[in-house]
Amino acid sequence: MNIFIREVKANFRSLLIWGGIVILFVFIGITKFSAYDGNPEMLAILDSMPPALLEAFQMNAFNLTTITGFYGVMFTYFALMVTISAAMWGSDIISKEERDKTVEFTLSLPVTREKLVTAKILAALVNCIGLLLIMWGISLVAVAQYEPDSAFFEFLTLLMVALFFMQIVFLAVGILLGCALKDYKRAGSIAVSLILVTYFFSVISGLNENLDFLKYFTPFKYFNPATLLHESSIDLNYVWLSLGITALCIIGGYITYAKRDLYI
Amino acid sequence: MSVIEINNLTKYYGKARGIIDVDLKVEEGEIFGFIGPNGAGKSTTIRLLLSLIYPSGGSAKIFGKDVIEQGSEIRRNIGYLPGEVFYYDKMKVIDLLKYSASFYKKDCMDRMHELAEIMELDLKKRIDDLSYGNKKKVGIVQGLLHQPDLYLLDEPTSGLDPLMQQKFFNLIREENARGATIFFSSHILAEVQKMCSRVAIIREGEIVKTEDIQTLQDDNYKKIRVKAKDLDEKRFNLDGVTNLVRENNSVNFFYNGDINAIMKVISANAISDLTIEEPTLEEIFMHYYV
Repeated sequence: MNIFIREVKANFRSLLIWGGIVILFVFIGITKFSAYDGNPEMLAILDSMPPALLEAFQMNAFNLTTITGFYGVMFTYFALMVTISAAMWGSDIISKEERDKTVEFTLSLPVTREKLVTAKILAALVNCIGLLLIMWGISLVAVAQYEPDSAFFEFLTLLMVALFFMQIVFLAVGILLGCALKDYKRAGSIAVSLILVTYFFSVISGLNENLDFLKYFTPFKYFNPATLLHESSIDLNYVWLSLGITALCIIGGYITYAKRDLYI
Repeated sequence: MSVIEINNLTKYYGKARGIIDVDLKVEEGEIFGFIGPNGAGKSTTIRLLLSLIYPSGGSAKIFGKDVIEQGSEIRRNIGYLPGEVFYYDKMKVIDLLKYSASFYKKDCMDRMHELAEIMELDLKKRIDDLSYGNKKKVGIVQGLLHQPDLYLLDEPTSGLDPLMQQKFFNLIREENARGATIFFSSHILAEVQKMCSRVAIIREGEIVKTEDIQTLQDDNYKKIRVKAKDLDEKRFNLDGVTNLVRENNSVNFFYNGDINAIMKVISANAISDLTIEEPTLEEIFMHYYV
């Protein structure tokens, strides 16, 4: 419990910074949207764009001139923000002990490595949930002026649930990297590279049918905002897949961290 | 039962040698010195005892329990002071110490304040505002505040000024008098000589010798210096003579053997001066080291 509390305190500043970025991003987005809002000219411009480009940015499934459609497009950027932060928190919370050489102190205390990892996972999870709540809260505030219908709020809730699953997948990937890699410098950069690679997969898997199989390798494709909007449900298969990846990474993290030499 | 029992403990970092087949027994209540040059494997041994790293072979027990299987339980009763201390920079000293104390199932607050006072440590400062020596003091208070039964001290005095070193040694002696066992690693012979009852010498990862400090010093080694005109140093080439050096009119050497035998050889010369001294631990140590 004491490790958990210390970690939450130590990571609070990072949560505030990411929270600030999200708040800024939502406000900039909504300000932009004020130009699209109910504007038929905007639709004409979008129609004239190449379909592949629209597909790549998931803009063809949504009517950008409604707040619901606009949020459908924003989802990609939200997803990038919450996954990058989650992966970085996950890898950093483990590897910083070796980077700052504090691990010699921490693990000469009467704690097992398993307990240390558990407390750190929970503390990082607190940050992930915190960031998601900030995103959700600020969205509710920002869209209020457009008086969205109940379908929007339902959609927003689904978006947040989908983001949560993406967060825990990348949090777990980050934890695994932090636990497994003795080379602490690489944990964070590999975690973020993985996000960029899987995001790239999600973009190209939509462009070509032959690359469709890539969708299983990229959590960015697990939850399609268009499906969330039109079917008002989350594909349970992908929920299980997400939970499965998360569990595997976490278990892998525990095992590798318990067995390896600490970098001192 | 030995407090520390190390059997054939071996550690390789990849292909690089850490320690090889280290065997040690440290008995309850003793101050045990662990001495060797930098890179000999002192810290490796201590980190293996704390299971911060894992052995390539062999095993170690503390309080009769395996250091890997029951590591966290053992560490409840260990005070560890590393050579270089690193703490969470952003924390205040007092918060860090309270955090550390929260892992032990007893109230350490009184002892913490007492130690901080002795070591003249400002509890209100942030860790990253402290000098190297003051960080070391935090390490001492943190390592001692829960009054464990075993102390693992790895080059504990580096960074402390002589006055603080003295206070630290007094604290350690008090703890020893209370019944605590001390495992003291150092490359400074004088402090080991001052503190320890037994000593193990480690060199290039292997234990060269384990001995009572008294025996090591008594070990019949004498440092002899003979001064005479027209001295033929070849006369001194008998069993037990080592490190024979000729300097102008004098001959210096170590002698380990029957003192009468050497006296006969010496008295056969017309000597002008003679000194026979106890070698310092440093000189004995160099003897094993070379």
